[in-house]
Amino acid sequence: MTKRTSIKIDYSKCHTGASTDPRECRKCLFVCDPAVFLMHPTLEDHPDPHNPEIWRIDAIWLSKCTGCMKCVEICPEQAIVVKPGDSLSIIRGF
Amino acid sequence: MKWSGVLNIANDFRKYHTTTTWTLQAISMCEWCFKHGDGGKWYNNARLYRNELADEYNASEYLEEQWKNMETLFIRKIMGFNSIGLGYKMQMPIIGRVIRKVVEGQIHSEKKNRNPVRADGHFGQVLPLEDAQHIIGNLAAEPIIKNYCVCRWMQRGVKDAVCINFGQLSEVIEKHTRYIPEDVKYRLDREEAIQALQEQNEKGYVASVWFQPVPYINAICSCESPECGGLRLRNDFNLKTVYKGEYVIEIDIDKCQGCMSCVKMCQFSALRYLPSVKRVIVDLDKCFGCGVCRHACKHDALNLIPRESVPGQAGKY
Ligand code: SF4
Ligand code: SF4
Ligand code: SF4
Ligand code: SF4
Ligand code: SF4
Repeated sequence: MTKRTSIKIDYSKCHTGASTDPRECRKCLFVCDPAVFLMHPTLEDHPDPHNPEIWRIDAIWLSKCTGCMKCVEICPEQAIVVKPGDSLSIIRGF
Repeated sequence: MKWSGVLNIANDFRKYHTTTTWTLQAISMCEWCFKHGDGGKWYNNARLYRNELADEYNASEYLEEQWKNMETLFIRKIMGFNSIGLGYKMQMPIIGRVIRKVVEGQIHSEKKNRNPVRADGHFGQVLPLEDAQHIIGNLAAEPIIKNYCVCRWMQRGVKDAVCINFGQLSEVIEKHTRYIPEDVKYRLDREEAIQALQEQNEKGYVASVWFQPVPYINAICSCESPECGGLRLRNDFNLKTVYKGEYVIEIDIDKCQGCMSCVKMCQFSALRYLPSVKRVIVDLDKCFGCGVCRHACKHDALNLIPRESVPGQAGKY
């Protein structure tokens, strides 16, 4: 049975309007070698759809996370929790 | 194309066996040159760059919607699933096969009711600097702009002005002010765009050309992996968002001095240095034919040759 990696971000700490706006910090994006994170506008309707103003981060390519914990260490808000599982390379065996 | 005979046979075969997926896979790139190349490579067909063609496909409307939603593509639920943990989803026996079929159908869609929000009909191919510069010099419709790479902003948090967009896409992107470089001239003339491509390619970025939506061509990107969303889907999940180039690298083993400079240029891990013979080797199955490694070689040991001229690589895009 595949053990999936789980990554949770606390949006009460990192979100437009919270104490850190991800567009200002971006540290997790920078340190994650496999680029697991994705910074994006939220799915709601934005007043100016060309220039949305509410952003957050999701851990999206979970199967590429190698469990290095660099994102957890660098996050100034301690907003990231990673529970490493099996990556795609480990599952495939190459 | 010297394999056009094979193509005809393959296409005839397909007409009667449209449900056999292996035939589709075996001829997939040939399919785009066959359908849209007018006898050559699809991206050398001048017709696919024209405003009239863009209008015929309502490209401007499509691009407006697509770009307003570009950054939410991977988190949106499409037919009940989004891309979060896609690698795990695709490993599941039945669901994985369904996802692959649905997603590839959308990526390559030529249907009338294409959905711009999920970027239906948006895919591309890797190409060497020379072909990219030929496009910008001779085929691309004006205006030509250089803007920040969306993928690198979303996935690495950096602003890197390396995307060359043109035709009806330029004015759409200009409305998204966060992607317009500040305090520099971002509308480029052809010479400036050719020069920009040169600099980006020499840095090690991979040139790629894009349908958006097929068959309208309006972008030449200079991509970096793993941030590039297109290369991500191709390299990690084998979805044909980006096809391999029309070429592969050839190493002249008499000229190679084993300096290793080329190895660090390859974004596809196709090159490796062997201490025992003091030269580099290539894994052709991994080579995308981008030609970027050539910039590092001071000994003229690296050259691109047509993919079709290598029996084991012909037809494998
Ligand atoms: S643990 Fe490492 S690989 Fe996983 S998301 Fe964090 S930085 Fe990326
Ligand atoms: S490092 Fe932490 S605070 Fe900074 S953007 Fe990432 S999740 Fe937000
Ligand atoms: S396709 Fe390539 S250059 Fe274009 S936005 Fe993505 S990474 Fe950037
Ligand atoms: S070996 Fe192939 S994929 Fe790698 S840089 Fe050279 S041409 Fe590109
Ligand atoms: S850069 Fe040229 S000479 Fe140096 S290892 Fe590569 S192919 Fe050989």
